[in-house]
Amino acid sequence: MENELMMASILKGKTAGSSILTQQYLTFNLGHEVFAINILNIKEIIEYGNVTEVPKMPGFIRGVINLRGAVVPVIDMAARFDKPTAEITRKTCIVIIEVAHEDSTQVVGVMVDAVNEVLDIEAGEIEPSPNFGANIHADFIEGMGKIAGKFVIILNVNKVLSVGEIAELAGSSQTVIDA
Amino acid sequence: MSLDESLQIYIMESRDLLEQMEEALLTLEQNPQDEEKINAIFRAAHTIKGSAGLFGLDFIISFTHVAESVLHKVRNGEITIDESLVALLLEVGDFIGKLIDHVAESKTPDADTQAVSDALISRLNVYLSAESDMVPAAEHAATEVAAMTTVDEAESIERVETDCWHVSLRFGVNTFRSGMDPFSFIRYMKTIGTIAHLETMQQGFPALEEMDAESCYLGFEISYQTDADKLAIESIFDFVRDDCEIHILPPHSKISHYIDLIEKLSNEDLKLGEILVKCGTLTPNELESSLQQQATQQAMDKEPIGQTLVNQHMVQPDVVNAALEKQKQVKETKNSESNFIRIDANKLDELINLVGELIIAGAGATLVANKTANSEMTEATSTISTLVEQVRDSALALRMVQIGSTFSRFNRVVRDVSKELGKEIRLEISGEETELDKTVVEKISDPLTHLVRNSMDHGIESAEARLAKGKSAYGTLKLNAFHDSGSIVIEVSDDGAGLNRDKILAKAIEKGLVSAEQSLSDGDIYNLIFEAGFSTADAVSNLSGRGVGMDVVRRNIQALRGTINIQSQPGLGTTMRIRLPLTLAIIDGFLVNVAESAYVIPLDMVVECIELSTADYEASISDQRDFINLRGEVLPYLKLRDEFECKGAPPARQNIVVLQYAEQKIGLVVDKLIGEFQTVIKPLGKMFEHVKGIGGFTILGSGSVALVLDVPRMMQLANIGKNKEQEVVGVN
Repeated sequence: MENELMMASILKGKTAGSSILTQQYLTFNLGHEVFAINILNIKEIIEYGNVTEVPKMPGFIRGVINLRGAVVPVIDMAARFDKPTAEITRKTCIVIIEVAHEDSTQVVGVMVDAVNEVLDIEAGEIEPSPNFGANIHADFIEGMGKIAGKFVIILNVNKVLSVGEIAELAGSSQTVIDA
Repeated sequence: MSLDESLQIYIMESRDLLEQMEEALLTLEQNPQDEEKINAIFRAAHTIKGSAGLFGLDFIISFTHVAESVLHKVRNGEITIDESLVALLLEVGDFIGKLIDHVAESKTPDADTQAVSDALISRLNVYLSAESDMVPAAEHAATEVAAMTTVDEAESIERVETDCWHVSLRFGVNTFRSGMDPFSFIRYMKTIGTIAHLETMQQGFPALEEMDAESCYLGFEISYQTDADKLAIESIFDFVRDDCEIHILPPHSKISHYIDLIEKLSNEDLKLGEILVKCGTLTPNELESSLQQQATQQAMDKEPIGQTLVNQHMVQPDVVNAALEKQKQVKETKNSESNFIRIDANKLDELINLVGELIIAGAGATLVANKTANSEMTEATSTISTLVEQVRDSALALRMVQIGSTFSRFNRVVRDVSKELGKEIRLEISGEETELDKTVVEKISDPLTHLVRNSMDHGIESAEARLAKGKSAYGTLKLNAFHDSGSIVIEVSDDGAGLNRDKILAKAIEKGLVSAEQSLSDGDIYNLIFEAGFSTADAVSNLSGRGVGMDVVRRNIQALRGTINIQSQPGLGTTMRIRLPLTLAIIDGFLVNVAESAYVIPLDMVVECIELSTADYEASISDQRDFINLRGEVLPYLKLRDEFECKGAPPARQNIVVLQYAEQKIGLVVDKLIGEFQTVIKPLGKMFEHVKGIGGFTILGSGSVALVLDVPRMMQLANIGKNKEQEVVGVN
């Protein structure tokens, strides 16, 4: 029943604030910062490893992995935000996320330093994103979730992992090298 | 089969028929006397119309009917086929195709369609009214018919008097359940003839309490007056033929046939005889005589009817033999027809995907088996791999189609375009039986059309110009296909003026594509016409005036992992050669290591592997001499480490994989050779679509991902690099 309601709210519109229902978010660490992603976008979380590098790619594309027969690109989230890439530790994970692209969905892996927990955040507890000051591109932020009096940046995965934009960046890094 | 499915089949079949019709029309244009083709066209139109009746597609019926009437007259020799009629009929075919498209999209014809339809009908009507001019032909036909009748009479077998067909129908129990309405067939019969008499057979009905309201117990005996032939009448019942009993007897059939019919439906025998009389099919006398014969026959221990007839000296044995032979032939053709099954392409794709997964899983199993060092286990897995390989090959073969149908479509293109241009151009096709992957066939059609049009428009000169040069007045365009080292080569060649090397070069320099100092081979220069932005309206005269540039052609071909190049001789013609991989999904690969990563090279392109000697390697570092002496040949090579900007120092021993592609040989320097590997190519996906030199991913037995090298693209990049180097050499 809960699921059905949840689905209904997704169908109505996924943007935060328009729903009166509580949604669940996965929080994770990049360096010392904490970010959150709506769990509805997440397919699974796997251990980091066995990543094949793809030559001549911009730094934030770590490479590809084999996810049960499907080849999935892995994005270094920290590098995507122009932050230094952290060392790979035991806690490093790949979060597998579904991203909408044109009419289809694309599966993308995101490398994060550690995953924390799944939290319920009420729609009323989500503030609109500030225009500046968050230290990452405003477009990437879906909202600011209030958790225990602290703000956590809720990411807009369709923007952060925009397939079109990444493909363009990958393509342009090629031309630079060719020239 | 539901009506909806039937409609899909109808649409598919109609498209096939239209294709056949077009082909036949094009043959007729060359050879108007070909009666077989005329019949083929008539049959196609007729079947389309006939089946349309089942679905109540009135628009198609009414339009096709007019075309069919014209074709009918053509068949009877009342109208002679000429160029303008062929042209009109081609248009008619296209238009019927459009109507079928409407049906497929479940649209109703709009006003525009109606207007086209009216215009075509009025043009067809011209032929219908002009019949009187053709009396001699008609007379001729009449004599022929008369002659045939005499022959028939000479056989002198008892025939029934009526000139009506007799159709005996017993609908299957499941007719209603399959969504069919028996009356729609009867109704349709009325559109191509008149029902002289109809008797409903009630014997099939069970007692009321046993009756199932959803079952069909109906049967009809129909005396039917029509000009249609047996095939046409049979085709009415195409959709129910499988589960219904249908017997069709032509007018003036031998009484023996009626005996046959009565015997077949023997549970109703006497009654049926009476009904035949009622229908007016048989006269009472005829019935009596037939029943007598039946009785005699039963007395003769049910000898085959043919035998009975021979015994009664009614038919010569050789006539029976001939009939039997004919029956056998019909059966054989039926058998060969049933050797083909139509399969949903998606199902095939699914199978190929599964085979792909099987190969990956198999490779994993082999790896584990080798680790356990259990010889029985290793043996078992190796047997499995052999089988998997065979399964792979046959699965891929399922997708292979001959290129012939794609080629023959160009008959029409060449015909239309040459008319448009006012040039006489003949199309020669060879290698139609060459097979390639269905997806490739579908995608190659557009670029080919472009090349063909281009050759006709710009390659082949006008008749006057040709004669002035001492060539034949008509130009020849050739389409050829053949297999060559794991790829298929498709050639489009013309015997036209050839490309103008100097003009292209001048244009390219003007556009800034190349610099004047660059020394380019002829091939390099011809290939410049594929550069984006090269061809515009004011470009070189013999290349201009096209909507789309040649760069689109090249991009389409590259998307299929193929290449295109041009050979041209001034005054003699141009050959465009497209080279495509045979399949897009699974290949035999050669696995190599560079730095930490594994790369797969298509095995078909690998010629040999040699070690890169220390001396050669040092020469390449100190003098930037990236070539070696391969048994007296210069072999240029690419260092994959440099190409892919790998970190770390190369190992002490490096290897060169010698590749051959499209008459060019290059070496690739890699760290380690691993060996052959069955490669299931996974597409790069959106994110990596701009990556150059990589054609896809594949998954190794260990579960890690390897990259598949796009050799044609790498060679192209290397060639661009080579040109830059030449510039440097020129300056030095």
